[in-house]
Amino acid sequence: MAAPPYATPLQKSWYYALRVICGLIFFFLIAPIVVIIPLSFNSVPFFTYPMEGFSMRWYEEIFGDSPQSLLWQRSIVNSVVIAICSTALATVLGTMAALGLTRAEFPGKSLVMAVLISPIIVPIVVIAIGVFYFYAKIGLASTLTGIILAHTALGVPFVVITVAATLQGFDHNLVRAGAILGAGPLRVFRKVTLPIITPGVVSGALFAFAASWDEIVVVLFLASTEQHTVPRRMWSGIRELLSPTIIAAATLLVIVSIALMFTMEALRRRGERLRGISPG
Amino acid sequence: MTTSNDALVRFIDVQKTFDGETLVVRNLNLDVADGEFLTLLGPSGSGKTTTLLMLAGFETVTHGDILLAGKSLKSTPPHRRNIGMVFQNYALFPHMTVEENLAFPLESRQAGKAEIARKVGRALEMVQLTGFEKRRPGQLSGGQQQRVAVARALVYEPRLVLMDEPLGALDRQLRENMQYELKHIHESVGVTIVYVTHDQGEALTMSNRIAVFNDGAIQQLASPSALYEEPENAFVAQFIGENNRLTGVVKSVNGSECMVAIDGGGEVAAAAINIGGTGSRTTLSLRPESVRIDPPADGYPDRFEARIEEILYMGDHVRVRVDVCGHDDFIVKVPRSREAPALAVGQTRTIGWHPGDCRALDVA
Amino acid sequence: MATASPPNGGADANGATTPSAATTPSAADANGVFTVDGVPLKIKLRRAERWARLRAIGLIVPLFLFLMVSFVLPIFTMLWRSVENPEIGLVLPRTAARMQAWDGRGFPPNETLAVVVEEFVAAAGDRTIGKAAKRLNYHVAGYRSLTMKTARRLERAAKQQGMEALLAGPDLIERFKGIDARWGERRFWTILKQASPPHTAFYLLQSVDRDFDEDENVVKVGEHRAIHVDILGRTVFISVNVTILCLLLGYPIAYLLATLPTRQSNVLILLLLLPFWTSLLVRTTAWLVLLQNEGLVNDLAITVGFWDDPVQLVRNRLGVYVAMVHILLPFMVLPMFSVMKGIDPYHLRAAASLGANPLRAFLRVYLPQTIPGVGAGVLLVFILSLGYYITPALVGGPRDQMLSYFIAFHANTTVNWGMAAALSLVLMCCVAVFFAMYQRLVGVGNVKLG
Ligand SMILES: Nc1ncnc2c1ncn2[C@@H]1O[C@H](COP(=O)(O)OP(=O)(O)OP(=O)(O)O)[C@@H](O)[C@H]1O
Ligand SMILES: [Mg+2]
Repeated sequence: MAAPPYATPLQKSWYYALRVICGLIFFFLIAPIVVIIPLSFNSVPFFTYPMEGFSMRWYEEIFGDSPQSLLWQRSIVNSVVIAICSTALATVLGTMAALGLTRAEFPGKSLVMAVLISPIIVPIVVIAIGVFYFYAKIGLASTLTGIILAHTALGVPFVVITVAATLQGFDHNLVRAGAILGAGPLRVFRKVTLPIITPGVVSGALFAFAASWDEIVVVLFLASTEQHTVPRRMWSGIRELLSPTIIAAATLLVIVSIALMFTMEALRRRGERLRGISPG
Repeated sequence: MTTSNDALVRFIDVQKTFDGETLVVRNLNLDVADGEFLTLLGPSGSGKTTTLLMLAGFETVTHGDILLAGKSLKSTPPHRRNIGMVFQNYALFPHMTVEENLAFPLESRQAGKAEIARKVGRALEMVQLTGFEKRRPGQLSGGQQQRVAVARALVYEPRLVLMDEPLGALDRQLRENMQYELKHIHESVGVTIVYVTHDQGEALTMSNRIAVFNDGAIQQLASPSALYEEPENAFVAQFIGENNRLTGVVKSVNGSECMVAIDGGGEVAAAAINIGGTGSRTTLSLRPESVRIDPPADGYPDRFEARIEEILYMGDHVRVRVDVCGHDDFIVKVPRSREAPALAVGQTRTIGWHPGDCRALDVA
Repeated sequence: MATASPPNGGADANGATTPSAATTPSAADANGVFTVDGVPLKIKLRRAERWARLRAIGLIVPLFLFLMVSFVLPIFTMLWRSVENPEIGLVLPRTAARMQAWDGRGFPPNETLAVVVEEFVAAAGDRTIGKAAKRLNYHVAGYRSLTMKTARRLERAAKQQGMEALLAGPDLIERFKGIDARWGERRFWTILKQASPPHTAFYLLQSVDRDFDEDENVVKVGEHRAIHVDILGRTVFISVNVTILCLLLGYPIAYLLATLPTRQSNVLILLLLLPFWTSLLVRTTAWLVLLQNEGLVNDLAITVGFWDDPVQLVRNRLGVYVAMVHILLPFMVLPMFSVMKGIDPYHLRAAASLGANPLRAFLRVYLPQTIPGVGAGVLLVFILSLGYYITPALVGGPRDQMLSYFIAFHANTTVNWGMAAALSLVLMCCVAVFFAMYQRLVGVGNVKLG
């Protein structure tokens, strides 16, 4: 796209200046993430270009069978288990609550809403030490269960917000149509409501997954070595000696992020298409 | 004859409120006969949709009861009522194809595969949409969506179908076509239809009977012709069709006739329909087409001098606005014909009407 | 059509035609709020709608209870710790009671001191004295060693002479002074008194650099201990700067995205979302790698000739700003973008056609309309940066740490829960104020993601 032909020279220069400025800002946003990924394939433990040679040794440190590697693998398993469990829990609880919130008015609704989304507002350190302090008393500190519960709380607001937003565009007459056509409440929910809100539910679940997958501070307080996740192992590494193994682990995280992001985009576009075709 | 015993639907003293303060439906008593096309007609906010939703089971009845085929609906949830419904925005399931939309009610009733295929095919044939089975609602035009909605409401052969302004979203041309199609479907299927609209033309064309709603109550329930020709109160007279109003005081009542002194001067004979005793105020209602300019001497005892204020050429007729008895919004319709009197603005002419066409009603 | 008759003769058999209803108000109207059978409408209505409401609430309750137990309760329990003061009461219960009764003038009376001696000896015996000593040390450095030393000496003396002899004599205070001269200063005794009650404002005062003096007046703490207000100021200062930087960088981007054709802006939004979805730790690590002395940026700059020796770019304020702006920028752009997207581009053209020069048109017509988005973005970024911990901890130096760091420090390293809780409360209050503003501007229900 070029500047419109009727533009004055001043407008033209401004037009290109804006694009140059924005290009630089996008470079600032993207470059750091892109630039470190090749470094995880560097054959020597230095973080400079040009690279000495290509090697998979840092990935071997993660996936091999040395004691260190076993710790990495264990942390991957922990991350996956925690993220999946807390996502499942947050999705079920959050979807139910969003359905209830959009169905009825009741006193104190905005207060309830504030409680439900507070986990993304309260500073993470406060959450972490609060949960640590309390869970330690009831024997949940240093357990996977404790971390899963805390991560569920962190993921819930995303599910509530996205599902509630989807329900706001939901035509309530569809539920009525389903009922008058002879389907009981459960069938209506399964066959009508759920398929239509599914993109919202899945988006919420993806957010919840990402929130747990990337989370570090709660794990920092709540986990002992047994429960270390990938970010937590990276954290130890960063604080001691920044090795390319960390960058390899970071690359793995980035790949998961990109996968989540593209799933989300696909869902959003599908949702827009569906919304576009609903009559009225 | 319809008697209250073979009514398909009965509303008994039904009241409805949303906020506990105002009644949206007041004390509704209404019978819908089996096989009838009954229209609920009324201005916006008069409670038509609410009445329909109570019948469908989506709104609770605050007081009173609704019977379907003699049985109270109080403890029957919507999905057990076996009623069909066409929504204003059609409420087609956007994630299902046309075929799946039509199959949905049949599957809910555990129909077999073969039966479903047969009934879906027949329903699509009925609304002339064969060949559209695999489309999604978003890939259909407004009129086609509307027909799918009708087919979906009929495919499981309910005895009663409710329609809430089903043609409201269509353009005029399409709406008139659909009116005929719906009418045909009603006649060929023999289903009972309760229809909501605020378009009186639509109501007059399609219905067997019309219930005129205002402010949560039925003002009159009658056939289209009776409603138009014999409105029983000023609201109905004003709401259905065009209407001239003259206000005055009842001078004397003589059986079905009365004499009324018009406020602007003059006295007329009128049919006593809905008036108090002598001395009470009344509204006279006159259809514009019942008024003649230069009427013949006999049969038109009510005669007035009127000044022509405005003439509008409408094609098949001419609308003449005259000033009579101090009312300058009095309309006369003159059919276009060779014998039509030559008119000009500013003339003073005699107008007259038959006393039977002039109905003395309540003060609205 | 006008002559069509009803199918079945069509008379209104049940008398549903009630013209009177039009003119006479119904009973319900006259009485306002009663049904035909006399039950107030409101009650009838409530009965009818209770069920629907209960079902809706039933759907919310599981999550609500879950959050209450797993999230809200823990945080409140922890925050409550900021006024709890159990240590002295647990370790030295009778001392605590006696000290609270003491009026704080002169030295505690002899009977009270006798109780102190007894309990110091007992606590030294079962090794619980350390807990009390640690608690007292929060008030003034050195109190821990003073307590430990005194308790050990008293315990030894009790063993040698017997408790009876130890408590004999009219002036027990002299015995304390004999162990350590500091017992001769009244403030060590008033501190013991102030540390005795089960609840205390001590931590909260400390979190704003205040303390009680010997006469229970609130005073500023000494210069070398007054760090918390500084930290709070630094936290706010860094957050403000990060917010401003994000606004400056974010506005052009949001503007470009909103004015580009959808196809192009969709691609650019993906570029914006990639960092948004990338783990915070990964991005912080990336900056650490890039900015360290042997890192890419220094390497490049030296090669090109910008500077000759590596420049410190990380583990200082500069690193904190760079990394935090990088992480928070998408949060600034997205709300602004969604507002700008809704602005009719014809407004600008209309202004231009009215003869306004482009800059003027932009300032007078476009900018004011973007204010809601700017407000939402600014508040969001500010709220989020107030709580930052990981990024400053990794890329900042010791003087760049924010409030969260010290909360974690007190919880983790010194295990001073009172202080951690009090600082948490301060941070929560700051966030709450700005969140309330955000809520006014955006509304909780309208929080959008991505
Ligand atoms: N869910 C509701 N809560 C509160 N009031 C309502 C609700 N639904 C309808 N009303 C009120 O009840 C009255 C009747 O509404 P209804 O929808 O039945 O009117 P209608 O005759 O269908 O009008 P229209 O022709 O505009 O569709 C209106 O005043 C409306 O505001
Ligand atoms: Mg309606």
